[in-house]
Amino acid sequence: MSESRETLPAHRAWMTVAQKVGTPIASVILAIGIGSVIMWASGYDPVAAFAALFKGSFGGPKQIGDTLLRSTPLILTGLSVAYGFRAGLFNIGAEGQLFMGGLVVAWLGVALTGLPWVVMVPLLVVAAMLAGAAWAFVPAILKARIGAHEVITTMMFTYIGRYIVSWLVVGPLKAPGQIPQTDALPIGSQLPRIQTLFSEATLEALPFLKLGRAHLGIVVAVIAALVVWFILKYTTLGYENRAVGFNPWASETGGISVQWTTVKALCISGALAGLAGAVEVMGVHHRIFDQFSSGFGFTGIAVALLAKNHPLGVIPAAILFGALSAGAGTMQLEAHVPQKIILIIQALVIFLVAAEEIVTWFIKRRQKEALSHVG
Amino acid sequence: MPVLELREITKVFPGVVANDRVSLVLERGEIVALLGENGAGKSTLMNVVYGLLSSDGGQVLVDDKPVKIKSPRQAIDLGIGMVHQHFMLVEPLTVTENIVLGREPGRFGVIDFTTAHKKVQEIATRYGLKVDPDARIMDLSVGMQQRVEILKALYQGARVLILDEPTAVLTPQEAKELFSVVRSLVDEGLSVVFITHKLEEVMSVSDRIIVMRDGRVVGETKPSETDDVGLARMMVGRDVVLSVEKGPSECAAEVLEVTDLHVKDDRGLEAVRGVSFTVCGGEIVALAGVSGNGQSELIEAIVGLRRPVGGRLMLKGVDITHASARVSIEAGVSHIPEDRHRRGLVLEFDLAENLILGDHRMPPYATRGIMHPSAVTATAEKRIADYDIRTPSWHVLASNLSGGNQQKVVVAREIGRNPELLVAAQPTRGLDVGAIEFVHRQILKERESGKAVLLVSLELEEVLSLADRILVIYEGRIVREFTAGEADEETLGYFMTGGGGTKLEDEGRTEHAEMAEGDA
Amino acid sequence: MLGSIITPDLFAAALRMATPLALAAIGGTICERSGVVNIALEGIMLTGAFFGTVVALATGNPWLGVIAAMVSGVIVSAIHAFASINLRADQVVSGTAINILALGVTGFMMERLYGHPGTTDPSAMLRPVFKFAMADGGFLGTIWNWINGIFLSHTPIVYMAIIIAIVAQWAMYKTRWGLHLRALGEHPRAVDTVGVNVFRGRWVAVLISGALAGLAGANLTLEQVGSFTENMTNGRGFIALAANIFGRWTPVGSYLASLLFGFADALQIKLQIFRGQIDIPPQFFLMLPYVLTVVVLAGVVGRAVAPAAIGKPYEKE
Repeated sequence: MSESRETLPAHRAWMTVAQKVGTPIASVILAIGIGSVIMWASGYDPVAAFAALFKGSFGGPKQIGDTLLRSTPLILTGLSVAYGFRAGLFNIGAEGQLFMGGLVVAWLGVALTGLPWVVMVPLLVVAAMLAGAAWAFVPAILKARIGAHEVITTMMFTYIGRYIVSWLVVGPLKAPGQIPQTDALPIGSQLPRIQTLFSEATLEALPFLKLGRAHLGIVVAVIAALVVWFILKYTTLGYENRAVGFNPWASETGGISVQWTTVKALCISGALAGLAGAVEVMGVHHRIFDQFSSGFGFTGIAVALLAKNHPLGVIPAAILFGALSAGAGTMQLEAHVPQKIILIIQALVIFLVAAEEIVTWFIKRRQKEALSHVG
Repeated sequence: MPVLELREITKVFPGVVANDRVSLVLERGEIVALLGENGAGKSTLMNVVYGLLSSDGGQVLVDDKPVKIKSPRQAIDLGIGMVHQHFMLVEPLTVTENIVLGREPGRFGVIDFTTAHKKVQEIATRYGLKVDPDARIMDLSVGMQQRVEILKALYQGARVLILDEPTAVLTPQEAKELFSVVRSLVDEGLSVVFITHKLEEVMSVSDRIIVMRDGRVVGETKPSETDDVGLARMMVGRDVVLSVEKGPSECAAEVLEVTDLHVKDDRGLEAVRGVSFTVCGGEIVALAGVSGNGQSELIEAIVGLRRPVGGRLMLKGVDITHASARVSIEAGVSHIPEDRHRRGLVLEFDLAENLILGDHRMPPYATRGIMHPSAVTATAEKRIADYDIRTPSWHVLASNLSGGNQQKVVVAREIGRNPELLVAAQPTRGLDVGAIEFVHRQILKERESGKAVLLVSLELEEVLSLADRILVIYEGRIVREFTAGEADEETLGYFMTGGGGTKLEDEGRTEHAEMAEGDA
Repeated sequence: MLGSIITPDLFAAALRMATPLALAAIGGTICERSGVVNIALEGIMLTGAFFGTVVALATGNPWLGVIAAMVSGVIVSAIHAFASINLRADQVVSGTAINILALGVTGFMMERLYGHPGTTDPSAMLRPVFKFAMADGGFLGTIWNWINGIFLSHTPIVYMAIIIAIVAQWAMYKTRWGLHLRALGEHPRAVDTVGVNVFRGRWVAVLISGALAGLAGANLTLEQVGSFTENMTNGRGFIALAANIFGRWTPVGSYLASLLFGFADALQIKLQIFRGQIDIPPQFFLMLPYVLTVVVLAGVVGRAVAPAAIGKPYEKE
C-alpha cells in the first residue's frame, strides 16, 4: 500500500543509490561468470581467456588506446540509445544512422577541399549529425503521427541505409582500385591520433601517452556525454523529453506536445549515432566501406541499458564494452576462444540489467525484512 | 447457518495493516453492506475472500466448513462470485464469450457456442437481466456491462455475490434498477455483500450494515437502528459536516464563454453537439451527467487537449478555440484532470518536477530553455507547505505518495499557478473524507478570490453542495440548467438520463437559451 | 521481358519466400495476442536455422534437423518467457538481448564445431513433396503447368505453414485455448479472476511462437539454402512482426501479409536476373522488402488496433 512509502528512511536512501550502481556492476560480474561457464563447457579455459582479454585491452598504453578507440563510437551510440529511451523510444536502428553519418563525412570530407581543419572538422561533425537525424526522421514522423513502432521502422531503415552505402562504395563513390571503398579523407578532414599531438620527447618522458590508434574522437564523445547530461538535467528540452518518456498523457496535459517531443528525441538520438559514424570515419578508417562498423549501433543498446540510460554512466559502460571488443582479438589468438563470446556476454548483460530482479533479489529480500520490522 | 463467515482475517501490506482481525457473518438470503471510507480495507477484505489476495491470518468458512481460498478459481468453485469496481470484462469479446470465459461448455477444448448461448439466455431470463448475448462489451453502456458481470457470476454458480462499489459508475436510475436486481437475486436465495461508501444506498438496500475504519470493523447496525449522521460518524470516527457553507455568488465578469461548441471523440463521432454556456469569475459551475455523455470531450476541448470541430471558446475575451494545451495554460486555464495517475502526474518524477509541470517553460523556472533548479525547489517547498502535502521532502517521487497527497500535488500545481479558470474533473474521486474536505475548501477559495471554476463530477452530492449553477449534459447537449438550491439528486438524475425532453433541444438552441435564462 | 518475369516460378518463389515470414508472423501473432511482444523472432529464427543445419549435418537426416530447429526455438523462447513473464523485464529489451544472444551463440558454436566463421558445409535438405510431370502444352497443359509450378512444387514446410495458418485461425476463434489467448492480451486480470492461469497461458503462447519461429529457421536452411550462414535471417524476424501487424493479429491475416512480402522478395530476385537490361543497382532490389515494410507500417498501423495489454507484464496484486 502506498501510504506506507511516504517516509523514506535514510538507510533506504543509500540503498537505492547502492542499487543504482550496484545492479549494473553485479550484472556485469554475473554475465562474465555465465560467459566463463559457457567457455568452460565448450572446452576452453576461461581464466586464460579473460587473462588474454585483459592483456589485449589494458595490457599497455597501446592496448588502452585500442580500448579507447572502440569505446569512442560506443559512448556516442550509447548516448543515442539512452536519449531515445529517456523519451520512451527504442532506437534499435542507431546502426543505420551511424552508417549515414559516416557516409556523409566520407563523401563531404573528400568532396570539399581547401577549407582549414578548424572549419572542416566541425562542418563534417554537424553534417554527420544532420544525416543521422535525417535517417531517424521518417521513423520519428511515423511514430509521432500514426504510432508505427520505431523498433521495426528504425531497423528497416538500418537495412536500407546499409544497402545504400554498399551501393555507393561499389558505385558512384568508389575509390580507384579493387576494394569497394571510398577515397581516403585528406589529413585536413581527419581527427588526429592522440599521440601525434605530443612531441617525441614528451612521449619518451611520458610513455603512457603512446596510445596507439586512439584519436581525438574520445574527446568529442566525452563532450557529447556532458552536453547530453546537461540537456537532460538542466533544460526544458530534457525535462520534456523525460516527462514524455515517463508519462505522455500527463505531459500532454502539462502543455507538452508529445508528437513534437517524440520527433525531436528520435532525431537527436539519430544525430548522436550519426556523430558516432563521423568519428569512426574521421578518426579510424578515414573512409567508408561495407563493414566499417562492427555493430556499434547495436552494442550501443547494451551500453545504454548498462548505464541505466544515464549519459555519464554511458562512459564507463562504453569503456567496458570497448575493452571487451579490443581484447577479443588477443583472446582468440592466445586462448583460442571465438570472439563471438563477446556478443554472448553483451546479451547476458542486457538480460541481467533488464531483468533486474535476478540481481536485486537479495537486496529486495533484505528490504522486505526491514519493512516487516516497521509494520 | 451462515453461507459465509470470516473469522479474524488479517492482511498486512508492507507497512500497513489493511485488515486487522476482521470478522463478518453472511446469512443466506441476506444483503450485507460493507461501509467505509476509501482505504478502510473493504476491498482488500473481499479480495481475500475471492482469492485474489492471500490473508496473513484468520479463517474463512463457507457453509460452516473452513476453507482455504488461494485463487479466484477456488472461490468460484465454492460459489463465491465478485463484481469488481473496475469491470473484469474483455472489451473486444462478446457478452457470451465473457460470461463463459474460464468455464466454456464443449468437448476436447472446442467451445460449444450453441450451448453457451442457450445457457446465457437461460440465466438472463431467469433473473430478468436482459442482454444481447452477441454484443461486444465495448459497445455496451456501463450499466449493461455491470449486468454482464452479474450474469458472469451467476453463470459460474455464485451463491454469494460480492459487489464492489457497484453504483460508483451508475446514474441514480441505473442504481435503482441494480438494487431491484439485487433484491430479486436475494429472493432466489443468493446472499450479497455490498461494498460502498455512500450512506443513502446503505440505508435503502441493506439488511445489515458493517462499518469499517482503518482496517477494523468499528460497528454493526441495521438501517432501522441508525441514520445518515450516525453512520457517517461511525465511518469517519468523528462528526462530519455533510454540507458546505458558502455565500451567494455574484457574477463579476464572464471568464469563460462557450458558444455552440462541437467536439468529436476518438472514434470520430460527435460527442459534444452544440454546447453554449458561460462561467463567471467568482462562480462554480458544475457539469452533471452520466459518464460518457460528452463531458470528457468538452473539458478536453476547453483545456486544449482536443480540437473542437465547430463553435468558439473565449477566455476573458481571448479566443482559445484552437489553442493547444500549452497556449491554454499560458492563457490562464488550469486543469485538475479526471485521472491523476494518467493525466495529472508523472509518477516517476519527484515532487518538485511534478509541481511545475506546465509552468516549466516560464520564468522563474526557465529562461531561454535553461531551467533554474533553485527556483523550482523554492516553489516546490512553498507549495508543499501551503497545500499541506505530507512528505519528508520534494525529493520524494510522486509514486510514493498516497492517493490523497498525490491529488494535493495536482491541486497545488493547478491552483498555485493562479489561473483565471479552474477546470476540475472529478477532483475528489477515490479520496478519503479528510482529503475531500481539503479539495473542496481549495475550490471554494478559488471561487471566493474571484476565479471561475468549472466542476465536472459524477458525485451528485458534490455537485449539489459546491455548485452555484448546474448544467446537465446528456448526449453531448446541455439539456437543463439549474441554480443552486433548485435541484435535487432525483431531478438531476432524471435529466441526466434523457428525461424531460431532448426533443426540446433538437428544435433549436434559441429555445434552450431562453429556458436557461428563465432558470437563471 | 514481362513474359519472362511473370512465370509460375515467380509465384512459387513468392510462396517459398513467404513461408519463413509467415511462420514467424503467426508465432508473433499468437505471442502478442497473449500480451507478450516478441521482438526475438529474428534471433529465434536464426537459432532454429543453425541447429537445424547442425543436426542435419550430424545425422544426415533433415527431419531430425527440423525437430532440432523447433526444439531450439522453444528453448530460446523460454528465456524470453521467463524474463518477460516471470521477471517482468521489458519485453522489447529482452527480445533485443535474445537477438544479440542468438548472433553470439550461433557464431560461437559455429567456430567451435566447424573451426571457421561464415558459412557451414551444405547439409541434407528436405525434398519437394510431390513430383508431377509437366504437361506438353495446349491450353489445359499450360494451366496444369501453372498449377503444378505454383502450388505443387514445394517442400513440406511450405505446406505446413499454410496448414498451420488455417489451424491456428480456427483454434483462435473456436477453442478454449483461443478464447483464453484473446482475452489474455486484452485484460489479463479478467482472465485471472475467472481462474485461468495467466502465467501459464502466456508461457504456452511464447513457447508456441518459439517453435514456429524455429520452424521458420528450418525452412530457411533445410529447404531454401541448404547451409547456414551467420546472421542469415537478415531482418526477417522484424518483417514478420510487420506482417503480423498488417495481418491485424490474426494467423490467416499474417499469412496473407507474408505473401505480399514474399512476393516482393521473389520479384526482386527475379529482377536481378535482368540486371543487364534494367540499369538499376542490385542493392535497390535488395532494399525492396525493407522499404515495403516501412510503407506497409506507415499505411496500416494507424488503423490496426493492437491487443490492449500488449507489452505489459502481469502482476498479481
